[in-house]
Amino acid sequence: MIEGAVSSYEKIKAKTSLRDILDVACSFEASARDFYTDLIPKVGKNVRWVVEELAAEEQEHLDLLSGLAGREDIAEQIKAEVRTPATDSRFSDCVHLPDLGPSPDDQAVLQYAMGREQIAMEHYRSLAESTAPGPIHDLFSFLAGEETKHKTELEKVYYEVVHSGGV
Amino acid sequence: MRPENYEAQRQPPSHEYELNIGPNHPGIEGNYAFKLRLHGDTVLEGKADAGYLHRGFEKLMEGRLWIQNLAITPRICVPDPVPMEVSYVLAVEELCGLEVPERAQWLRVLQLELSRIAAHLFTFGGHAATTGMYSTMFWGMADRDLVLDLFEELTGGRVYHIYNIPGGVRRDIPDGFLDRVKRTLDYLESRLPDYDNLLFTNQVFVQRAKGVGTMSREQALEWGVTGPNLRATGLKFDVRRDDPYLVYEDLEFEIPSEEAGDAWARTLVRRKELVESIRIARQVVAALPKIRGTIRCPIPNPLAWSVPAGSAYTRVESSKGELAWYVVSNGGERPYRTHVRGPSQMHAVQVLEKLSVGARLEDIAQTMFSLDACPPEVDR
Amino acid sequence: MRDIDYKDKGGVLNPLKNLSFFGRKAVTVPLEPRPASANYRGFHLNDWETCIGCSTCQKVCDNAAITMVRIPDLPEDPVQGIRNLRPAIDYGRCCWCALCVDLCPTGSISLSREYVHTCLDSELDSYFVLPDAKGIHGTPYPKGWAKSEDADLVALERERMEELEPAERIGHFQEIVAGYDSNQAIIEASRCVQCGMCFDACPTHMNAPEYIRAIWKGDPEQAVREIYRTNPFAHTCGRVCTHRCEDACSVGHRGTPIAIRWLKRYAMDAVDHERVKAIAAEGKARFLSGKRVAVVGAGPAGLTAAFDLVKQGHEVTVLEAQAKAGGMVRYGIPDYRMPPDRIDRDVDVITSLGVKIQYQTRVGKDVTMAELERDYDAVILTIGLWMGRSTRIPGSDSPRVKRAVTLLRDVADQVKVSIPASVVVIGGGNVAMDVARTVARLQKQTFGAVKVTVTALEDLEHFLADPQEIKEAREEGIEILDARGPQEILFKPRKYEVDKVHGLRTWRVLSIFDDQGRFAPRYDEADEQIHEGEMVIEAIGQAAEVDLLGEDLTERLEWMRGRLKVDGQGRTNLPWLWAAGDMVRGPDVVSAVADGHRVAASINTYLSIQEDAA
Repeated sequence: MIEGAVSSYEKIKAKTSLRDILDVACSFEASARDFYTDLIPKVGKNVRWVVEELAAEEQEHLDLLSGLAGREDIAEQIKAEVRTPATDSRFSDCVHLPDLGPSPDDQAVLQYAMGREQIAMEHYRSLAESTAPGPIHDLFSFLAGEETKHKTELEKVYYEVVHSGGV
Repeated sequence: MRPENYEAQRQPPSHEYELNIGPNHPGIEGNYAFKLRLHGDTVLEGKADAGYLHRGFEKLMEGRLWIQNLAITPRICVPDPVPMEVSYVLAVEELCGLEVPERAQWLRVLQLELSRIAAHLFTFGGHAATTGMYSTMFWGMADRDLVLDLFEELTGGRVYHIYNIPGGVRRDIPDGFLDRVKRTLDYLESRLPDYDNLLFTNQVFVQRAKGVGTMSREQALEWGVTGPNLRATGLKFDVRRDDPYLVYEDLEFEIPSEEAGDAWARTLVRRKELVESIRIARQVVAALPKIRGTIRCPIPNPLAWSVPAGSAYTRVESSKGELAWYVVSNGGERPYRTHVRGPSQMHAVQVLEKLSVGARLEDIAQTMFSLDACPPEVDR
Repeated sequence: MRDIDYKDKGGVLNPLKNLSFFGRKAVTVPLEPRPASANYRGFHLNDWETCIGCSTCQKVCDNAAITMVRIPDLPEDPVQGIRNLRPAIDYGRCCWCALCVDLCPTGSISLSREYVHTCLDSELDSYFVLPDAKGIHGTPYPKGWAKSEDADLVALERERMEELEPAERIGHFQEIVAGYDSNQAIIEASRCVQCGMCFDACPTHMNAPEYIRAIWKGDPEQAVREIYRTNPFAHTCGRVCTHRCEDACSVGHRGTPIAIRWLKRYAMDAVDHERVKAIAAEGKARFLSGKRVAVVGAGPAGLTAAFDLVKQGHEVTVLEAQAKAGGMVRYGIPDYRMPPDRIDRDVDVITSLGVKIQYQTRVGKDVTMAELERDYDAVILTIGLWMGRSTRIPGSDSPRVKRAVTLLRDVADQVKVSIPASVVVIGGGNVAMDVARTVARLQKQTFGAVKVTVTALEDLEHFLADPQEIKEAREEGIEILDARGPQEILFKPRKYEVDKVHGLRTWRVLSIFDDQGRFAPRYDEADEQIHEGEMVIEAIGQAAEVDLLGEDLTERLEWMRGRLKVDGQGRTNLPWLWAAGDMVRGPDVVSAVADGHRVAASINTYLSIQEDAA
């Protein structure tokens, strides 16, 4: 799935309209949702809640993005042609993506999910940084903000689960 | 409302009649009654009738924590509340073996002597009023209020100070307090010539008071008389001197006495004691700045303070005579028994009853005031 | 003394002396109200912000003039030691002695400098007043008699307890604190104002005011009796309890809270062990119910439940994987805090009542949950949190990277642990401190010197460890670095078969929590440090080892965010299974004890109903 994320980044770079960008973003969220949904039965029931929450979360993201794409008031802007800049993605090494084995534990799933959100966040942010102010810049900033929020939420969950009580 | 079996008793014709003074009478200090049997205006028999002010303090104290009783003690004798407080805490301190810091002892002496001044001013006024001289009463009350102002500053209360606590006192003096004490003492001293003019050398008063309610020294001792009343019979007995407590040993003062043993002599002793109390208070004012340190030794948490089993009798010299608490502890958080040895109980009951025989009606109120008996303390 | 010449009859002109009064100023008293003296004991003022509703004023009031009134709008928080009660004064009873002021633990009550309150007949109830900081008439009279150092009747300073100096305590595992002697205990106990905030805050609602009072009265046996009413882990809690009682103690608002934990310890140590057993056995049922209960795990939660159930007449078997009982108290807490002979005593009291413990019996291996379900009327799961979490940073899977719980257990079990001369610990909680201080002692014994570095994500203000632990760890020569985010375990250049750890690489944590106080770390990547150590110990968190349940039971059970889902009585969704202790509540000894009582009560009810139905 990390590969998937990177490739969707490549796809975004190549696209030229806001609608296309949103479409790729939607498919990115959809694939994540599907991944987590597939994972649900494979993990123990005691850690299933993490995966279930992640799947639900991704569905929410998807709904949000598809809603945005379908909005009448920005339809014109969405159709506008844009030139997407080339950026280098920066991958933070404080997020270490483990190999999710056949039946990962809660910590592994959370670390994986955080890494995924981190990548998405970084990508949207660098896209936003390298576009001039305007609707596209705003859209990237918005998407980067959304992913940041998701990641922050996950970090909270991670701290509560892994640093449980911490005593 | 007459019982059914009531039958009027026929009495032989008589010139005797009964007269109740009190419980509401300006000549009686507080709610207290004195029943007289008279022939003309000569008293044949006087009968003290107490109980109107009975509040059951001694019993009440058995049910309250040691420290909670502090609030009760000053209420036993309102005109001179401090000796009550001090003697109660002395008893508790004796039972617990508490070492009271020196500064607290000096503060207690200051409070005791100011209280004596206030009480004497109160009594002169009352005594004067019973002889129809109301100006002295107004002056006495007004000047007493100046002392109460000092109490308010020092203790937070004008009459019920609740300033003493086993182990010491509750507050140190406020800023500039000693100067104000000094000023009030100077003022009171400057007033003495006026009082002398108005009362003590006033022939109206002298003639009225002389020879009234006379007792001999032997009678006084037999009847349990203490304080100025005893000293007015020529016996210089004063607890402050003869069984010293606090720091009275370190203080210079005279024990005034008179020989006559009558109302006049008693009042004169008080008048002289006023000067002595001012003298003592001045010594305390001079000494206090040099005596540093705490005002209370560490005491246990009052909520469950158990006082070691035993009993203590601690007496002090109040303005009215020897006053003491007898306190018994069974080791509990509350006193097992407390008892007040108050001077007024003797003075207002047995002494007054005896002195009234053969007296004239118009001297009864004067006799009571000259004994400085305090009915709330009789009843307690 | 000027003698008063009363014989002087004066002259004819003598009355004329009084003419001088014409020249004197008349005495007049102004009618306007004036504030009384600075110390005056007038009407009550009460600062509601400072007042905690502890009711001490009510207790000391000589005239029972104070009634505590519940104010629903005010905050109520037993953990903080705050009740939403405020004193109301009946001025028909008050005698203005101000003992309420002098004994107020927080100093919220004072008396004003206002003299007068009068009213019409119809307003008689205006003598019953709920004072606030504005005073009886809402007119701001200044404070009169207020809390002062002289008059304060609350003893603010805690009785000092002797303890070993850092240099004396580092080379061995002997207990650090000496405990109170009877004199010290009585003095410390006598500071208590008996407000009961401790009772409210304690998870198992220990009768602390009662046992403190018993100690104060010189009756430690009675204290033990009060202790055993709610806590069979009395020695344990007397030493290592998280003492929420003390956090809530009303005396702690201005001074040091009463040393409630040390007082409990004193009472337990003061009474002969055989006598303790007899006291603990008081009230034990004189019949057998014929019901059998299995407890998985002989820690505080499991043994507390066993203690209660045995006293109620049930037969209880505890299955313990380790060789000794006590759970994390024995295997997680180092001996210098919790001497093992005291755990032995706690366990001995419990077993003396008839609780059977099968040691070295691992459920899931030696016996299955299905067998327990079949053989017992009820089963309690109290397996604690025995799986140490790992950061899973690169290198953390090396054999020279240890988990704190594993290491502490090995030390407690006296397994030979080889500790290198330098160690890095990751974590900022009490377990991190425990493991760091344990390692420091072992280093001191082996190498004569201590080199332990503790790195924690949290900054010092947000450390989860007790401040006392941090202070003592530092005194013992342990370096504590706060706000360090672990990034990678570094290894020495490969020369041997096994990789040798070189140290830990960390980034500075700029902020760890967001504005809502939740975890959201931000790093300063420029501030990178390498902490040298030949071993890294991870002490970041723990989880329950739920594998013993088996796949089938795991599926049948309901879970709640990774923890077994239980209701308020500790019941799982299966009628025969209860769970309690750290595994459902998080790590805390006294909460585990409270939980043990809860499940025992629930099981007792359940078994009684079964009985009735049969």
